[in-house]
Amino acid sequence: MKEATLFNGALVLYAVALIVYLVYQFQTREKLAWAGWIIGLLGLLSHTAALIHRTLVSGHAPFTNMYESLSFLAWACLAAFLIVDRVFKIPRAGFLFLIVVLALMLLANSPLMPKEITPLVPALQSYWLWLHVSITLLGEAFFAVAFITSLMYLAAAARDKKGVKPGGPPSEKLDRISYRCVAVGFPLFTLGGLVLGMVWAYKAWGTYWSWDPKEVWSLITWFVFALYLHTRLVMGWKGKRSALIAIIGFLLALFTYFGVNYLLAGLHSYA
Amino acid sequence: MKSLIRFLSSVKLAITLIIIIVIVSILGTLIPQGRSAAEYADRYSSLAGWLMRLRFTDLYHSAWYIALLSLLALNTVVCTLTRLGPKLRKTFRPNLEAEAKALLALKDSARFSKKLGLEDTAGRARQALARRGFKIQEQAETGRINLLGRKRTLGRFGSDIVHLGLLVILAGGIFSSLTGLRVFLTLEKGKPQQLQPAGFQVRLDKFETEYYPGGRSVKAWKSTLTTIEAGGREQSAVVEVNRPFSYKGFVLYQNSYVPQAKSSLLWLEVSDKARNVGRPTTLRPGQSTRLADTDLTLRLLRFEPDFVRDEGGLVSSRSEELNNPAAQIELSRGGEILTSGWVFARYPDYPLIHGNKASDFTVALRDIQPGISSDFSVIEAAQDRGVPLIWVGCGLLMAGLFLAFYWPTREVRLRLEGAPGKTEVFAAAIGSKSREALTSEFDSLRSELRRET
Repeated sequence: MKEATLFNGALVLYAVALIVYLVYQFQTREKLAWAGWIIGLLGLLSHTAALIHRTLVSGHAPFTNMYESLSFLAWACLAAFLIVDRVFKIPRAGFLFLIVVLALMLLANSPLMPKEITPLVPALQSYWLWLHVSITLLGEAFFAVAFITSLMYLAAAARDKKGVKPGGPPSEKLDRISYRCVAVGFPLFTLGGLVLGMVWAYKAWGTYWSWDPKEVWSLITWFVFALYLHTRLVMGWKGKRSALIAIIGFLLALFTYFGVNYLLAGLHSYA
Repeated sequence: MKSLIRFLSSVKLAITLIIIIVIVSILGTLIPQGRSAAEYADRYSSLAGWLMRLRFTDLYHSAWYIALLSLLALNTVVCTLTRLGPKLRKTFRPNLEAEAKALLALKDSARFSKKLGLEDTAGRARQALARRGFKIQEQAETGRINLLGRKRTLGRFGSDIVHLGLLVILAGGIFSSLTGLRVFLTLEKGKPQQLQPAGFQVRLDKFETEYYPGGRSVKAWKSTLTTIEAGGREQSAVVEVNRPFSYKGFVLYQNSYVPQAKSSLLWLEVSDKARNVGRPTTLRPGQSTRLADTDLTLRLLRFEPDFVRDEGGLVSSRSEELNNPAAQIELSRGGEILTSGWVFARYPDYPLIHGNKASDFTVALRDIQPGISSDFSVIEAAQDRGVPLIWVGCGLLMAGLFLAFYWPTREVRLRLEGAPGKTEVFAAAIGSKSREALTSEFDSLRSELRRET
């Protein structure tokens, strides 16, 4: 099978999972939640096969241009969601989350992103590429889950305030899940984005830190999540304010990943 | 003094500083850094002067940005130290006294009586705690035993270790910027150069550019370098991007190359006038190729980036710049030369070509990808003694994060009060993180202790 077939298979399965989760929004039946999860997993498997296929054909890590890294980010996001859903049981988040995953997949699939396998430039020929990018994007995937659960928290909190009977998970649960996702994402992002980024930069450029825009934006993202943790763990902030910081943090992570490449010039001009 | 310490130890200060640092850092990425005054004047007109005076144009090396970072570091130090004392006391000199009331006020607590003597009950409790990995300390008074079981005590210091790691990284960064050296050497093959701050010379023995099949994209730049000591001792190594060579505290990196126009890769297009089809092909000087689907062979004899011909008809280049790129080509069919001469990128309509069937074909020079000289290589030599500190700091940072999030300290306190024929048990569990796991561990401990057999 070709990579495109596997990728499109994943795309279709994600769309089906999205529809199942959409139905679940209106009919809270266990079986629907279960079906959504399984279809999502099948999509993930097809997607995994697509990534492996590309790795074998290209001979390098499947995140060296925008198409590849968007596809990998979508993969990591879905993997993170399936794990979080398995642990905390939040099928309600499935609908919103699959919109994010599907958006990433469609963006990757758009004609704007060249999909040809290009040979690896010397700067990217390093095993640190694997570690640096995959761990960073995995961290960002958990930030993405925290982003969705924080949005849901804000909606649930607004409902609580109005006294409307909650339809979804209670707001305290969403708040707690957001925190747990940040607690996974933050160490991963620190390790992949900052620590391994510095190690690789030192290996490739002879300096571990050059105040390159991507580095500065990673640091900004890191600071905002540090803020989240300090306000929460030391000052006891919870709920709305925590949710807002987590939302801002994810948007910053997204800009670091995506916006910096297109809007700001720097050393990270590959992907 | 006291109020200063209170100010410096507040988390609010940390939060304010982080917000300020985030905002100015964003501005620093929006304003291009380290450009010329003229460029800023052009870009920001009247604002340029202010931006430069406030060092927004070299923000990350400006005194005030570094001062902000230093203040945050100082805040971290004071904050961590003021919290460290009580934590250390709690860890190394814990209060073993446990008030029954205080225990029962905790979320995970229990009270029950056992039909066993005080010592037997204590023995059971010790066993149950030890089996769950708790380290036990105890205090006995007449008719009463207080037990304190603890595990993963290091987890309590996770955040302190994170802060220590960050401070070590910052210290390493300061050390790097004060003592670090970065020298860029443009080495010419066979000519050793003294690496100024070091006691050795560096010589380029060989510089190769490897291309991927197709010849367009670079696969690797490889410099064979030899270091030469004053005493004449030599050591060689091959340096590539991502594969530097460490020697005597210096690390040598493949940084760049010197372009060489004469070995450029040219995009040439042969058109068959009769059939009006263009056949693009890429060649380097000295190469020839059989054009696809034809019996024609195109040879690229020579390339001049800045073509000039003197009165005697001698061709040369005025410079290495691509001012008037010209290619000398030869088109042949089965050994018979059809066309040969010079074609120009800038003047496609004036080819200086002649041949017996010149009118049948035209050759155009469409594009040029500058070549890479094999006689030169640009090497970066870096000496950075701050680097080990950075790695130690990173290690502490990651270890601290792990401890803070995934090594939650747990404490179980038991107060056993002896009474005739029974023992009153007051128990409680304390832990700040992963409450569910703590509750379930406490529940299993409680039910084990309550069991009579």
